[in-house]
Amino acid sequence: MSERARSVVAISISLVAAAVILVGLAGGGSPTPSEEARVSELAASIKCPFCNGESLADSGSGVAADYRALIAERVASGATDAEIRQEFADNFGSSIILDTSTSPWSVALWVVPAVALVIGGAVVITMRRSAREPHEVPR
Amino acid sequence: MIALLGNLAILTAFGAAIWLVAAGAMASRDGVRSRLRTPVMVLVVAALAVFVLLEIAILTHDFSIAYVADNTATTTPFIFLLASGWAALEGSIVLWGVVLAVFTFLVWRRLLAVDQLGVLALAVMGGVAVFWFGLMATAGNPFSVCTAVSGEFCSASSWWPLADAVTPVVGRGPNPLLQNHILMAIHPPMLYIGYVGFTVPFAFAISALIRGDVGRAWLDRTHRWSMVAWIFLTFGILLGGWWSYEVLGWGGYWAWDPVENAAFLPWLTATAFIHSAVVQRKRGMLQSWNFVLVIATFSLTILGTFLTRSGVIASVHAFTQSGVGPALLMFLGLVVIGSLALFGLRARDVAQVPRLDSLVSREGFILANNLLLTVFAFTVLFGTMYPLIVQAVSGSDVAVGRPFFDRAAVPLALLLLLALAAGATAPWRIATGTVLWRRLRAAIAVGLAAGAVTVATGVRSLGVVITIVLAVTIIAEIVVRFTGVVAARGEGVVAAIGTVIGNDRGYWGGQLSHVGLALVAISLATTNGLAVRDVVTLAPGDTAVVGGYCVEYLEPFTSVEPNREVTGVRVAILEESCEDQLDVLEPRINTYAGGTQPVGTPAVWTGIRDDVYIGIAGGTAASVDLNVFVFPLQWMLWAGGLVVVAGGILAAARKPSRRVGTSDVVSVAGGGSGDV
Repeated sequence: MSERARSVVAISISLVAAAVILVGLAGGGSPTPSEEARVSELAASIKCPFCNGESLADSGSGVAADYRALIAERVASGATDAEIRQEFADNFGSSIILDTSTSPWSVALWVVPAVALVIGGAVVITMRRSAREPHEVPR
Repeated sequence: MIALLGNLAILTAFGAAIWLVAAGAMASRDGVRSRLRTPVMVLVVAALAVFVLLEIAILTHDFSIAYVADNTATTTPFIFLLASGWAALEGSIVLWGVVLAVFTFLVWRRLLAVDQLGVLALAVMGGVAVFWFGLMATAGNPFSVCTAVSGEFCSASSWWPLADAVTPVVGRGPNPLLQNHILMAIHPPMLYIGYVGFTVPFAFAISALIRGDVGRAWLDRTHRWSMVAWIFLTFGILLGGWWSYEVLGWGGYWAWDPVENAAFLPWLTATAFIHSAVVQRKRGMLQSWNFVLVIATFSLTILGTFLTRSGVIASVHAFTQSGVGPALLMFLGLVVIGSLALFGLRARDVAQVPRLDSLVSREGFILANNLLLTVFAFTVLFGTMYPLIVQAVSGSDVAVGRPFFDRAAVPLALLLLLALAAGATAPWRIATGTVLWRRLRAAIAVGLAAGAVTVATGVRSLGVVITIVLAVTIIAEIVVRFTGVVAARGEGVVAAIGTVIGNDRGYWGGQLSHVGLALVAISLATTNGLAVRDVVTLAPGDTAVVGGYCVEYLEPFTSVEPNREVTGVRVAILEESCEDQLDVLEPRINTYAGGTQPVGTPAVWTGIRDDVYIGIAGGTAASVDLNVFVFPLQWMLWAGGLVVVAGGILAAARKPSRRVGTSDVVSVAGGGSGDV
């Protein structure tokens, strides 16, 4: 098979496969998470009060199971995620909430690594630029 | 008696370590290896003696030693008795010291007869040993004598070996988690060998900086040591994940616990280091960066020990609090500040003109890999320390847990996979679009086709599909490249495979690890993105269907073992129709003597596609609550991890660069380039 023919075959397969993926993912999405999914998400974002660092979702203890049942009850009764987290925070202090995405402190948590990535990327790109010059100067 | 002998052995090792520092520093001018023979021998023998004496005390149930009384019991099974020698705080310091002493001895054996770089590196290792054996002699003394008993453990102890001992009768026994599974006896030593192993490249780097010999000699000579340390660290982390999955029963293998992060951090920087070291050896770039990475890796191993052992961060791993924490923190500060200051002093010698011809090249993609791994490490470190930082700055409590780490790790990991897919088979210096495309086109088609098949089977998770496309592309690209190179040799297939791998074990070992990493990535995506979890309440004879499997509660059972009482249930796993039985599982709850919290142990059935994982969540024998998880492709995580390790072994076993005669031959250049 010639080089061109190989490329054509590869491109054709890739395009067909990509189309299948796009159609499949676009068609079958679930727009609103189920109550069950919300309960597990919430349980994963709240620390088990007496379990030494584990989340309510991760802990196998009876206490954690009770709190998961409580969350399920609150979700069923129509409370929002934020309200449920707030109830736990009010009872056990704000450090019980593992998901910090709603706290003002979380901004730095996201910004600092992002800035590190940007600075590092800039350094790598400069390495190439400064390297190019000597090559362009004839010896 | 044993306390006296033990303390003597510790002090002997401590003295030998100081001697080694002095002898190494003095011998560094002429570099005569034989001058270090005695301190090295004394160090390794004394360190082994400490370990053996501690094991003797444990195996003979000498409860006059506080460590033995507090961490073992007469009923503890033999294998866990043995493991108690390193499982708790003081024992882990002993293990660290012993591993370090053995590494020191092995490095010394591989030195050239005249070897300035190596002799000074041994002095640095001696300095590290001074700290560990000093710690062992003071805050972390494993031979403290029990002077007052409360129940079955020591409420007071004395470092003075001849103090009047009080002896508990039975002993408290190990922490339940430490005697629940055999893996707990293996996982920590593997990690520790990995941790301590990075002392060797660190010591050579520091020696090179002190001597101003900042070329590639230190890298060449520590290549294999770094690989060995990386292999053990990788294997240790893998075993830790497996232990968590098989034993802890929360239904997972990784929770971004601070101590898990502590093992992961040096792994990230070490992985960056073994890649950037290749760039320096092949292309002469990244000299300073390699110093930074090796210093970071070593510092992070100390930080990891500090986090594990100081109790500063709440964690399931942080068993103890003691004066060991502050000592570790001071040592960490000394290492970081000292080595960075030294590096700063030498920066002018190390700095060189970067020669990156093109970003689209092997070294360009390795740079991307290094950038991503470093930012990954920084992000994990920052997230782990963030609660402490906020506490210090504002006094308010925040927790940073899985939600943050999961969200931050996924994009970084996917970018890493992308860089790997693009760069694994790219040529050095400059890769033209045509060359890259020719090497990648078949793989891209295969990867996208795999993604399409995944979608066709009903998977709708974007993260899972992207991961599978990238991972399969990586595997296909490596297979295509390998078969291409083998076919080009025109010999018999078997002979050609042997020749190709034999000619470049470093490269093909790396590629094997990449294949393993791709498998791990797929499993990480499917077990997180497609797992099914349910809590079912069953009476005997009841069935429930979870994630395509039928679970039937057969009967409860109990048994009494010397060190624990077992309460469990027999549960049948059946096909979804509840007709064809696949297996019978026995999840259980173990209650250990000593009145500690019972420990649940899950049971797992592994099929070709899924793991069915069952743990007892609560309830009674008449009506039991079961946590039932179905994890797709869970086995691929362990298999892929083993492939990563196998690739590392292949790379470490690469042909040593040629050295004249044996290691005892005098090297003319002094700081020779023998592959240690």
